[in-house]
Amino acid sequence: MTEPLLDIKNLRIRFRSDEGTVKPVNGVSFQVNEGETVAVVGESGCGKSLTSLSILGLVPSPGEVFEGEIRLQGKDLTKLKKNQMRKLRGNEISMIFQEPMTSLNPVFTIGNQMTEVIKLHQQLDKKESINKVVEMLDLVGIPEPERVVRQFPHQLSGGMRQRVMIAMALSCNPKLLIADEPTTALDVTIQAQILNLMKKLKDELNTGVILITHDLGVVAEVADRVVVMYGGEVVEEAHVNEIFDNPVHPYTRGLLSSVPKMTGSVEELGAIQGSVPTPSQMPKGCKFHPRCPIATDLCKDEHPNLEETLPNHFKRCFHMEGGSIYEQHKRETTT
Amino acid sequence: MSSIKEKQLPNVLMEVKGLKKHFEVKKGYFNKQVSYVKAVDGVDITIYEGETLGIVGESGCGKSTTGEMLLGLLKPSEGVVKFKGKDMTEMSKKELRDIRKDIQVIFQDPFASLNPRMTVEELIGEPLEIHTSMTKSEIKNKVIELLEVVGLNSEQLKRYPHEFSGGQRQRIGIARALALNPKIIICDEPVSALDVSIQAQILNLLKKLQREYNLTLVFIAHGLPAVRNISDRIAVMYLGKIIEITERDQLFGEPMHPYTEALLKSIPVDHPKWRTNCEPLKGDLPNPANPPSGCTFHTRCPYAQDICKNKVPNLEEVKINHFTACHFPLKQ
Repeated sequence: MTEPLLDIKNLRIRFRSDEGTVKPVNGVSFQVNEGETVAVVGESGCGKSLTSLSILGLVPSPGEVFEGEIRLQGKDLTKLKKNQMRKLRGNEISMIFQEPMTSLNPVFTIGNQMTEVIKLHQQLDKKESINKVVEMLDLVGIPEPERVVRQFPHQLSGGMRQRVMIAMALSCNPKLLIADEPTTALDVTIQAQILNLMKKLKDELNTGVILITHDLGVVAEVADRVVVMYGGEVVEEAHVNEIFDNPVHPYTRGLLSSVPKMTGSVEELGAIQGSVPTPSQMPKGCKFHPRCPIATDLCKDEHPNLEETLPNHFKRCFHMEGGSIYEQHKRETTT
Repeated sequence: MSSIKEKQLPNVLMEVKGLKKHFEVKKGYFNKQVSYVKAVDGVDITIYEGETLGIVGESGCGKSTTGEMLLGLLKPSEGVVKFKGKDMTEMSKKELRDIRKDIQVIFQDPFASLNPRMTVEELIGEPLEIHTSMTKSEIKNKVIELLEVVGLNSEQLKRYPHEFSGGQRQRIGIARALALNPKIIICDEPVSALDVSIQAQILNLLKKLQREYNLTLVFIAHGLPAVRNISDRIAVMYLGKIIEITERDQLFGEPMHPYTEALLKSIPVDHPKWRTNCEPLKGDLPNPANPPSGCTFHTRCPYAQDICKNKVPNLEEVKINHFTACHFPLKQ
């Protein structure tokens, strides 16, 4: 097997304060291959955004990565010096944020902001970099790119701003693109346009993509592989079809059944009871057990490991036949 | 779920006719009025007792403004809002205050809509104090009862909003709305700010309450799957107008307006197997301050013809209980 593009191994992040230490990311491992879209799914507070920030070396203070490795093509990013990391950011790894208005500078033109990235990382002069910007804006489907180059962010609509962000992120041909909730702030018709654009670009440029989202519809639309996170850990990982057809972990099942569907009958949604605990109140044993419909005494005391139960399908749950127990429980509660 | 058709002559609870809200745009040193933003531009809706009416549309389509006018929080520029046959726009302040007992609201952001300095008991008890002559202990008992109805418990009476999670705060908002036994609750994006698992809890709770209290709900949202889950009838809005309104299954099965069709196709698929590469709609929503002539959707419509640029289509009953505003309604 070839070396993965990105290999995260046992990543742990801690925040130390006077009230004690919390570990919002606690032993996360997954890989991203070239040209592959990996969706990291979970509810707010599961550690998905922190994980992505740590890849860029941007964990906010007082947080720190205190264990684990993040390898980009074999190079451990956690060991890099600040200036080495700076060379990497925006060049080999880039990121698209949720809110395009707050991540673009309101007092510079689009051309100004985009050429900055290009001039910094590629040896191009002013004229060449403007041409490059126009080419990139054209690639992401912005009409009249020559005009947009001279415009300010407030003159563009939300969808256009997000296209500019994507163009900016892709302008140095990064190997890895991290998209943190790229469509959450957009309307559905615009979301469809942006998702389509991401699919097209991935095929053309062969970029590895980490897509961070809580929207399972977006996952169904663009992901190749899915990593489900809960309480700072990976609880299930598999191919996207496998996750939707045969979810094993009770949390994944709960998430899937709580999404209102566009097809089929309208019935009671299978909600997960309770809410996500904060990192400082994380329970002992399996972190999901207080909300889990099939939890046993074992789950309260012991912490399960992430195991490969089917080929390329990993889960962190004691109940090997999780499926059948879950179905049985569901039958019992409905009758 | 019972549909409107099965019921014998449903009672009309609210009726809205020719509702308009135009916001003035002012410019310059002397606040010269230069133009209007037509946030809501001629909306007619009839709301029947006991139904859930969904209102969907993209941001800027006027769905929240419509909701605020239904509540009587915003005075319409034109048109009538009738509640049980009485026109709310003609009412005195006192009459309006009385009628607000029957029309309650649940807001989108449970972090911003609860006063951080009030305890749960005060928050839920406030409407009871204002509108009823209950004694303190009666109010307390009622608050406890309401908390249990929405899935919280009496131990949480003395807590402040910051001690609760988003979903729990939304439950407090629901208890507050229920306190006066309203006839109708307007829910403005009640689940958009919540995590998926919590969204499902709140949707289930709203459905349960509707059955138990025979409530009428107006559910305003941009998320079509959630609207499909809860609504009996759905109205689709585009640039201040209703462009299609019909029963849920009819809308999802046989959309007649090209915009509804595009909206349905834009929703991410339920399963990765059904992926397509179609891009249903090009371009952005036009500026509501300067809407296109004729049918406002013609700039993005794949089927637009010359007449669409000049003539505004009316909302017409194309099939029984299926209204659409289009010169060329789609045929399935």
